[in-house]
Amino acid sequence: MSGGPMVQISIESACEKQVQEVALDGTETYVQPLSMSQNLAKLAQLIDFGQGSASEDEGGEGEARGQEWGKQEQEEDEATVKFQPSLWPWDSVRNNLRSALTEMCVLYDVLSVVKEKKYMTLDPVSQDSTVGKTPPVLQLLGKKKSLATAAQLLLKGAEKLNKSVAENQENRRQRDFNSELLRLRSQWKLRKISDKILGDLSYRSAGSNSLQGRFFPHQGTFEVIKNTDIDLDKKIPEDYCPLDVQIPSDLEGSAYIKVSIQKQAPDIGDLGTINLFRRQLKPKSGTQPWHLKLEAAQNVLLCKEIFAQLSREAVQIKSQIPHIVVKNQIISQPFPGLQLSISLCHSTGDKKNQKSTPDKNKPDDHLYVLEHNLHQLMREFHKQTLSSVVMPHPASAPFGNKRMRLAGPMAYDKAEITSLQQSEGLLEKIIKQAKHIFLRSRTARTIDSLASRIEDPQIQAHWSNINDVYESSVKVLITSQGYEQICKSIQLQLTIGVEQIRVVHRDGRVITLSHQEQELQDFLLSQMSQHQVHAVQQLAKVMGWHVLSFSNHVGLGSVESIGNASAITVASSNGEYSRNGPESGCKVMVQFPRNQCKDLLKSDVIQDNKWNYLRWPHKEVHWSKMEGRNFVYKMELLMAALTPCP
Amino acid sequence: MCLTLCVYVCVREIVIVFRARSVSQVPVAEGKSVQQTVEMLNRKLEQLGAVKQGNFCVDCETYHAGAIGNPGQPPKFLYVMHNSEAPLSCFALFENGPCLVADPNFDVLMIKLKSYFQNAKSNKVESRGARYQYCDFLVKVGTATMASSARGITVEVEYCPCVTANDCWNLLMEFMQSFLPSHVPGVPSVFGVKTDGVYSPSDTMAQYLELFSKLRKQQAATGSGMR
Repeated sequence: MSGGPMVQISIESACEKQVQEVALDGTETYVQPLSMSQNLAKLAQLIDFGQGSASEDEGGEGEARGQEWGKQEQEEDEATVKFQPSLWPWDSVRNNLRSALTEMCVLYDVLSVVKEKKYMTLDPVSQDSTVGKTPPVLQLLGKKKSLATAAQLLLKGAEKLNKSVAENQENRRQRDFNSELLRLRSQWKLRKISDKILGDLSYRSAGSNSLQGRFFPHQGTFEVIKNTDIDLDKKIPEDYCPLDVQIPSDLEGSAYIKVSIQKQAPDIGDLGTINLFRRQLKPKSGTQPWHLKLEAAQNVLLCKEIFAQLSREAVQIKSQIPHIVVKNQIISQPFPGLQLSISLCHSTGDKKNQKSTPDKNKPDDHLYVLEHNLHQLMREFHKQTLSSVVMPHPASAPFGNKRMRLAGPMAYDKAEITSLQQSEGLLEKIIKQAKHIFLRSRTARTIDSLASRIEDPQIQAHWSNINDVYESSVKVLITSQGYEQICKSIQLQLTIGVEQIRVVHRDGRVITLSHQEQELQDFLLSQMSQHQVHAVQQLAKVMGWHVLSFSNHVGLGSVESIGNASAITVASSNGEYSRNGPESGCKVMVQFPRNQCKDLLKSDVIQDNKWNYLRWPHKEVHWSKMEGRNFVYKMELLMAALTPCP
Repeated sequence: MCLTLCVYVCVREIVIVFRARSVSQVPVAEGKSVQQTVEMLNRKLEQLGAVKQGNFCVDCETYHAGAIGNPGQPPKFLYVMHNSEAPLSCFALFENGPCLVADPNFDVLMIKLKSYFQNAKSNKVESRGARYQYCDFLVKVGTATMASSARGITVEVEYCPCVTANDCWNLLMEFMQSFLPSHVPGVPSVFGVKTDGVYSPSDTMAQYLELFSKLRKQQAATGSGMR
């Protein structure tokens, strides 16, 4: 239709004017249309003005005519009245009377028509005569019939819907083999070989092939078979599935990897046990049995593969204490006395494994962070095999890390190259993490036990929230209660690594402690004793005493077993001395001038009075009898007592 | 033997490590052989407190560039060098010309381009020796050999923290004076060429090339035998 030639449509107005005559040469002469005044005159001629007679002589002849005449008369009268406006003063009265008369005549006519009914009758407006004529029974029957037809239609429609729903359910229940197969294919990899359908449940596409896969060449294939042992006569069971899968025999059952860190010595307990990849598969209502089966088999395969990788590494890597690989358990000793065991627990079918640990784990036994880290390690293990080898990479580039391709053109030296290459295996990482966790928990326990045991200088530990898997840090403060503002000289920042603890002192010293907890304990104890003496020094400043000598490590007195004793000597403003040396106890000595001692023997040796002001030997203060909550408080009281009043 | 001392100044950046190095040639002491001089130097370094960290090797192969049947042009030489310090790299340079840093596949490429680049196998020079580390300095004392006869001694001194060539020349000189017997040579020519002063590994190879060329010329001039 489109594309055709354009059609010209011309519009012509209809011929309004009538043709009067057509001349010989073809010209038409139209009747001229009437002008307005001519039109009016023409219409006025149609009006018959001559029929206006008196309205009193009317009988019962045509009330319509009479009415018309009455109107015309009125109009005439009005017209006459208009032309003779003020003829005589009774004009208005006459008009009113006349109109009243008209009205009366009309009323008389209407009443005569109603009464006599001779020539005219009153006819009411026609109404529906059938209403009220039919009996109610018939009406009822009629309604019933119409309702029945409507019901019939609705029932038909409902029946159709019911049928289709029932069909649907029937289909779903029946579970056609093909539709099941389609569902299976949407979740698992399938391929058809001759007349068998095989599937793949290994992690090859996630990267577990290539380097590692060579040593663990499990195919991971399963077979799909049609379930034909159904008796059509009997009722179809609820969990019937027309499709069944057959998995390899060594992947049956369920498996998980158990990692546990145990301490053989009795001072601290086991650090805990973690079960990895242990899933209680609760079948949801919609999952098919083959799905559960395949998932369980895949889990078993994953656990086996990881365990194979770990045991391979355990045999290959060299460490100071060699790892032991026994059947399905790897035992290694990160620290002497600490045992890390990784075992693969595989339970086949319904046999209850007697060695299986009970399901409930004590809450503080469960190492959440370690579990999370181990899961991450396992996932990374697959990811790295996938990304390092697979595309895209240039055809000429060697396999391996992508950044290694830059090593040639950028002339990297050995240090940079080794930093690019990953050298740690999975087992090493696990061991490092286990070591770190162990060291951290033991450090925490040491600090806590010291804090609960010793009350005088208080020890506070602030652990940082953000830690690394191989490093944590804690800030240890040693303070005296009530004197925190003036005695804050001992603040230690501990960084807990994999095998060592590094302590940074406030005065800048850096000390490295090994994993032995006794070292840390001794160090903290010595710091506590030094704190006491530091506190006295600060106190002296506040109280107005002079510090005469201060030594962190005195060479006099009894030899301490841990660390060194420290001592301080302070003098009051008028000469009373006080000396104390803590560590295996605090000893405070007070020295008075000679003239204040009561038990003084008068002797003749003293010739001059000034010799009376020399210092007399020290007297020890009964420290346990002193009032005061802690050492610094007692010292303050003592100094306050000895300060001379002005 | 003449003493050529190339000093490279290496600066350690965060991303790329360039070291300032100076490669120099040490004259053989009077009456002693090359090996004895090398041993003497090693002992001096150890006395200084340097720690031996293995061996190093720098070699240089010569290729004739351009077709032989072109008599008007002087023959251009392409030198392909390897440095054990950058084990995955291969350096290709012309004398006083550009230097290319490439993958080890470059060697294979040269074999494929046999028809255009002829390998002059007799001109292969290499320098092997011990590698010492002394705090921020790396010293490599090597014996330069050509056709398995020792021609000279090369000493490479590297100052790791610095990348700007001219800034630590004095420091390097002072350090070298502490263990080298005779006078320290002048600033290497590569330093003057630098526009921004940043050192790169190709400068090391340029210095080595200069050294090896000198050795070759000496060999040609004086014939075999050491003085």
